[in-house]
Amino acid sequence: MAETTARQSQLPLNLSLRDSATFDSYVAGPNAQAVDYLHRLAGHGWEPGVYLWGAPGSGKSHLLQAVCHAAGAVGAAAVYLPMELADRFPSEALNGLEHLSRICIDDIEAIAGRRDWEIALVHLIDRVHAAGGGLVVTGNAAPPALGLELPQLASRLAGGLTLQLQILAEADKLQALQWRAARRGLTLTMEAGRYLVRHYGQDMNRLFTALETVDQASLVAQRRLTIPFIRDVLGSRMLKTE
Amino acid sequence: MEQTLWQACLDRLESELSEQQLNTWIRPLHALEEDDMLRLLAPNHFVLDWVKEHHLESILGALQQLYPNRNLQVLLEIGSSRKPPAKKAEAAVAGDTTAEESVLEGEAPGGGLNPDFTFDNFVEGKSNQLARAACTQVAQNPGTAYNPLFIYGGTGLGKTHLLHAVGNLLRAHNPAVRVVYQHAEHFVSHMVRALQHNTINQFKHYYRSLDALLIDDIQFFAGKERSQEEFFYTFNTLVEGHQQVILTCDRYPKEVAGLEDRLKSRFGWGLTVAIEPPELETRVAILKSKAQQAGIHLPDEVGFFIAKRIRSNVRELEGALRRVYANSQFTGKPITLAFAKEALSDLLILQDRLVTVDNIQRTVADYYKIRVSELYSNSRLREVARPRQIAMALAKELTNQSLPEIGEAFGGRDHTTVIHACRKVKELQQTDEQIRKDYKNLLETLSD
Repeated sequence: MAETTARQSQLPLNLSLRDSATFDSYVAGPNAQAVDYLHRLAGHGWEPGVYLWGAPGSGKSHLLQAVCHAAGAVGAAAVYLPMELADRFPSEALNGLEHLSRICIDDIEAIAGRRDWEIALVHLIDRVHAAGGGLVVTGNAAPPALGLELPQLASRLAGGLTLQLQILAEADKLQALQWRAARRGLTLTMEAGRYLVRHYGQDMNRLFTALETVDQASLVAQRRLTIPFIRDVLGSRMLKTE
Repeated sequence: MEQTLWQACLDRLESELSEQQLNTWIRPLHALEEDDMLRLLAPNHFVLDWVKEHHLESILGALQQLYPNRNLQVLLEIGSSRKPPAKKAEAAVAGDTTAEESVLEGEAPGGGLNPDFTFDNFVEGKSNQLARAACTQVAQNPGTAYNPLFIYGGTGLGKTHLLHAVGNLLRAHNPAVRVVYQHAEHFVSHMVRALQHNTINQFKHYYRSLDALLIDDIQFFAGKERSQEEFFYTFNTLVEGHQQVILTCDRYPKEVAGLEDRLKSRFGWGLTVAIEPPELETRVAILKSKAQQAGIHLPDEVGFFIAKRIRSNVRELEGALRRVYANSQFTGKPITLAFAKEALSDLLILQDRLVTVDNIQRTVADYYKIRVSELYSNSRLREVARPRQIAMALAKELTNQSLPEIGEAFGGRDHTTVIHACRKVKELQQTDEQIRKDYKNLLETLSD
């Protein structure tokens, strides 16, 4: 018991262990075309918007962050706006964004049926087109299935390039996990990696949270990442997905 | 040199803030460096306030660490790199008005006109030729030909394109002409701001002194009485002064619920024209024109295939073309029929699965050779009422929409009307061979 307390007190420093959401850290797998499109165009002006849709955990937010990151790297102003912000801000928060070179709107389904936000987005899309900026919007369904109130908005989304993001295959998930582990200087055996993917890999966000949790725990406990250790740590903190 | 200071600051903040904080609040800032002053321009006051409250300290801290020997000042203000910031920093930090938000927004260079939309690149077909002709007339004889000109039709059919085309042509003829394109929603928000800031007289003067006012989507006026009143007076002044007014709407003016009768009747003073969804030949022509503009080689059979499968509107046609082109660029393969089928497969499957009320209305109107707008209308003529009932019954059978939603989609009818229609159509299918056949054909068309 005393030993546990001592261990817990040895908290790891909160250094920059954050995994940058860049194009490099995105394992494209079946989504190579979307990545290629965003990547090639992230540095230049481009045509009207892109609409990416897919299930949770298919990497939509990651790609949007990557677009912003790439814009930042060339000194261009960009913005990432998750639409859950609509609960905290009025739709005027979209004013003036057309002056930025990249505008990324995440989880558009969050404002479906909210007329003020839908109208504001219709206007934003029109202004961005007129100003010639790059717009990327994501959602959990194809435009006509989003449940939007305004046909004007659905039609604008469908009028750009629409691409569906697929969930990664197990091997791709493992690769993404290994990539992140390596960035953290973690040795993750194939077996341990497979264990994590199998039990926590339904949603990539969840998988990465699991990795982060075991990483922290192994730092504190000074233990290597064996399957029993992982099971022990995560068993008490995270529910498996199956 | 200019950007390096902010760039260095960003690099440092990267290790301090989460990716999302950085991308949502810091990256939208545009930095301008002037001597020992770093001016950070925020796109709007929400970003500005948030940064001030949550991140300014980190920014200052990062700069202090990076440049301990420089006495750097940071000014946060609203603005963008594309236009000079209108206010002094202090004012921008303290207040919330910017050039962007002032009453005279329309005075921005261009009057809100998009030069990309012209008559030259508007593809004409049977479905839109009347509207196009009326717009050309108006652009050549503003204030006298048809005033007001009222254009109505569904989304993505080119109403906005025509408004801009008129504005651009007016300006080409006379660069000094004062023409403003505005979305109805903007008119409303301008008026609200003018009321708040006590500048309603300037607002009135501004709109009433224009040579031409082009207002898009006037259905957004619905239910906004004060705005309607203000617009009513503006409208009267303009039309009486032979200043041109063009309005667009997604439906026939009389069918807009929540719009005052006096406005509806005045909108009908001039000429009212409909834009219908384009027929197949026009859809093919549109695709060819878009492909040509973009420098895409589009074989005829591919154009025909896309046009045949994507029937809804022009915007979605463009979306499909973009998809095919993007796929061909990605794979390096030429655009052939087989390639296009493959590239669009998920879109088409999805479209087939998603039968919408919109789609049903278009298909039924097509089938009976009537206009979609007639389905929304109050007409009780049998040649309109029967197709309307059939469309309602199809909507009930093929979509997940509730009865009130279906009623709403048919010009704001009551749900009992929909129930009645469903019963009637069921009954008629037993007794009327023609109706039975029609219904079966439509069902097949919609679900093939």
